[in-house]
Amino acid sequence: MSFLTISHLEKSFGVTRVVKDFNLDVEKGEFISLLGPSGCGKTTVLRMVAGFESPSAGNITIEGREVSSLKPNQRNIGMVFQAYALFPNLTVAQNVGFGLRVKGVPAREIAARVEEMLALIGLPELGDRYPFQLSGGQQQRVALARALAPKPQVLLLDEPLSALDAKVRVSLRNEIRAIQRELGITTIFVTHDQEEALSMSDRIVVMHQGVAEQVGSPFEIYNAPATRFVAGFVGTLNTLDAQVLDPATGRVKLGENELTLGRAVPPGEATLGLRPEMLRLGAHPGEAALTGTITELDFLGSVIRLRIDLGGQKLAVDLFNTTRQAPPKVGETVSLALNPADALVIGA
Amino acid sequence: MTRAASWAILLLGITYFVLPLLGMVEFSLSMRRGEYSFDAYAAVLADPQFRQTFSYSVVMALLTIVFGILLVVPTAFWVRLKLPRLRPVVEFVTLLPLVIPAIVTVFGYIRLYNTSSWLPLTGTIFGTNLLLMFGYAMLSLPYMYRAVDTGLRTIDVATLTEAAQSLGAGWVTIIVKLILPNVLVAVLSGSFVTFAIVMGEFTMAALLNRPAFGPYLQLMGANKAYEPFALATIAFIITWACMGLIQLVTRFTKHDKAGR
Amino acid sequence: MTDLTSPPPKRRWHPSLTWLGLLPFALFILLFLVLPTMKIVIGAFQRADGSFTFENIAGLFTASILSSYWISIKISVASSAFGCLIGFLMAAAMVLGGLPRGIRSPLMTFSGVASNFAGVPLAFAFLATLGPLGLVTMFLRTEFGINLRAMGFNILSFWGLTITYLFFQIPLMILIITPALDGLKREWREAASCLGASGAQYWRIVALPILFPTILGTFALLFANAFGAVATAIALTGSSLNIVPIMLFAQIRGDVLGNPHLGYAMAFGMILVTGLANVVYIVLRIRSERWLK
Ligand SMILES: Nc1ncnc2c1ncn2[C@@H]1O[C@H](COP(=O)(O)OP(=O)(O)O)[C@@H](O)[C@H]1O
Ligand SMILES: [Mg+2]
Repeated sequence: MSFLTISHLEKSFGVTRVVKDFNLDVEKGEFISLLGPSGCGKTTVLRMVAGFESPSAGNITIEGREVSSLKPNQRNIGMVFQAYALFPNLTVAQNVGFGLRVKGVPAREIAARVEEMLALIGLPELGDRYPFQLSGGQQQRVALARALAPKPQVLLLDEPLSALDAKVRVSLRNEIRAIQRELGITTIFVTHDQEEALSMSDRIVVMHQGVAEQVGSPFEIYNAPATRFVAGFVGTLNTLDAQVLDPATGRVKLGENELTLGRAVPPGEATLGLRPEMLRLGAHPGEAALTGTITELDFLGSVIRLRIDLGGQKLAVDLFNTTRQAPPKVGETVSLALNPADALVIGA
Repeated sequence: MTRAASWAILLLGITYFVLPLLGMVEFSLSMRRGEYSFDAYAAVLADPQFRQTFSYSVVMALLTIVFGILLVVPTAFWVRLKLPRLRPVVEFVTLLPLVIPAIVTVFGYIRLYNTSSWLPLTGTIFGTNLLLMFGYAMLSLPYMYRAVDTGLRTIDVATLTEAAQSLGAGWVTIIVKLILPNVLVAVLSGSFVTFAIVMGEFTMAALLNRPAFGPYLQLMGANKAYEPFALATIAFIITWACMGLIQLVTRFTKHDKAGR
Repeated sequence: MTDLTSPPPKRRWHPSLTWLGLLPFALFILLFLVLPTMKIVIGAFQRADGSFTFENIAGLFTASILSSYWISIKISVASSAFGCLIGFLMAAAMVLGGLPRGIRSPLMTFSGVASNFAGVPLAFAFLATLGPLGLVTMFLRTEFGINLRAMGFNILSFWGLTITYLFFQIPLMILIITPALDGLKREWREAASCLGASGAQYWRIVALPILFPTILGTFALLFANAFGAVATAIALTGSSLNIVPIMLFAQIRGDVLGNPHLGYAMAFGMILVTGLANVVYIVLRIRSERWLK
């Protein structure tokens, strides 16, 4: 039995089902991300775990204990919200100590724990400030400390970084992950930002229209997307229509080009998924070759993105920018190399 | 709070508010023994004193509104444009009439502007009417000022003014053509509140001895059985109409803005 | 503001011209609020011949005047306390109680109407309802055999006046507190709940302290509102209940106290009471809003 299990969870608002047959097993200490576009039901799942919404069907157990019938204040769950949600009338220290105060913990113990938590988030001197005197990043750290202070069994974070500006977002991302590792707390992190999910998570749940499309490590999600949606949502992907010439060896025709994937594919039409970084310019022995014409060239700093016309189909290709090589020009016909084993064959 | 408790509180509250209105209307219809009739209303409407006091108050209300607009709109505009640091002070001052009881203010008027003073307003009927209008304007100042100031907040006064000035418009043109239309809704809201306040006002009119609707109501209450309730119902309908009109103009502009 | 083209002598005139724009308003306030109030304050410390004295103030300390202040203060405190409490409960039921959204707009409009429906007509409405022959009085007597009068209830009393005043006090509270309740973020409640707080703990530690300044301010406003209410009281009770505004009204009309300057003192007392209520409010508000800029 896993630490936290969610099975056959459903939620409907009126007639619209916003969460459909959601299943997830989370191990103790694991960091799970729910990743998906806005409106796909991530927050709703999280709110059902926290107890703010009651499921239309299904079960949630924590350490084998069914929690569906428990009120939020009986669940021992920590939650961090997008908009910080610090209590504006309490100081930082009072905010962090709130969970202990309502449990009736003696003041001296509260003070010690608050000090410990403020040290953990790196703001040991700000205990007497009010929330309005803090920056967004500091507020969100305090919110994290407040959620963690009563030692919850599970930590839930609902897009905690999306209200912050880019620099703070990246540094706080690493900090949250470090604190989570240090405390070994089981965490569910909701985000619509794939980079966040890929960089922080042990495992990612990709959600789409209330359904968990794929559950897997960041590596699996990126390199072996199970569905067309996952492939398209996580990272940039070229999807190319190909004709299968030989299902057994995986020989396919891509416009004018032919390539052999070296594994079996279903007969008929296939959709190939190629990441922009899978392709290189020039011919390389042992790799498949594609020929096409450059139609556009975007200089993005460390990377040059080419748009290539492959006999009617568009393909984006990323090259590293090096000084050793003159960049290609628009209109040139180029040869591209590809390791056929990398190409994704996308199902439904 | 549970939903049941909420419903209970709400229904109890509504009962408290509906019962007096019901009692008032019921009494106003009970002049004829044994059946409901509009006799009390007919009696009221036939009373020449009703017509005199009612029209007196309507005229006073309209004058107060005109004066209030002329006083408040330029002031609120000027404060926003030129003296923004003074805004809290002005706002505080406009709230004072809510704190200083009307009876105290009017007492001051009577003693300050009596026949033997440097400005003997109470010496003539015209002067007393003028004084009463100033009093009414003071009573409605908190509402009028807040309405207009809120209205001004939604438009960028400084930019609009600069634009107008660069086109060579004078101050009068700016206020009439630019500011006023933009705060029209706010001004209307303030005007309706003013109207409702003046129509029901008793203390100032009674102490200045002017034949207004409020003192007439009180007089009828002391001397007649059913007519006062018909009058109270009429007063309630006037108040309701004023508030309803505020809702209407506000909603109207909301749609207007959404459409843009 | 930085008008570089205008010549220096003209620029010297700018500040005073700016202030000139405020002149009509300042004049109006001076003539019809400040000077009349000053006249009262000064008059309270003058004899008829204009010499300075404390006699008028001392004259307030007679049994009948003191008791009129006392009952006025009691009615004002009771009607504003109940007004705040009931208005708060109704607004909370409407905003947080899970009632249909459709209730809101009519209730707010009605509050606007009822808070302005004061004065003489309001007194009539309550006479028609709780007076000796009122709707509710008669209904209770004929249907349930309950005789309100025999039970000691009288519309011309402390409770009668308080219940009547609530008709404009409650709606005023609803109008002011509803936006404040809207300002309570759902996340605060949820965060508190996650951290193990009960509903009562959330209200005590978070929500009420946040609302406190608004509630306090409304209380001060309702207090002044009730303390200065003349019309309702006169229409309802004639002169049978000795509250300050009624006594002052009679004094202004006919010098019933036999000393014109005692009237000044009474009016000065009214300013003092409402002024004090507001000073208390401002002090408490400043203390309770350390967490705001
Ligand atoms: N209380 C509610 N009532 C009705 N619909 C809701 C409610 N909460 C969320 N929804 C709907 O459920 C869907 C999923 O919402 P949410 O879980 O917030 O998505 P996400 O967090 O992934 O952006 C959305 O279409 C949203 O409109
Ligand atoms: Mg969400």
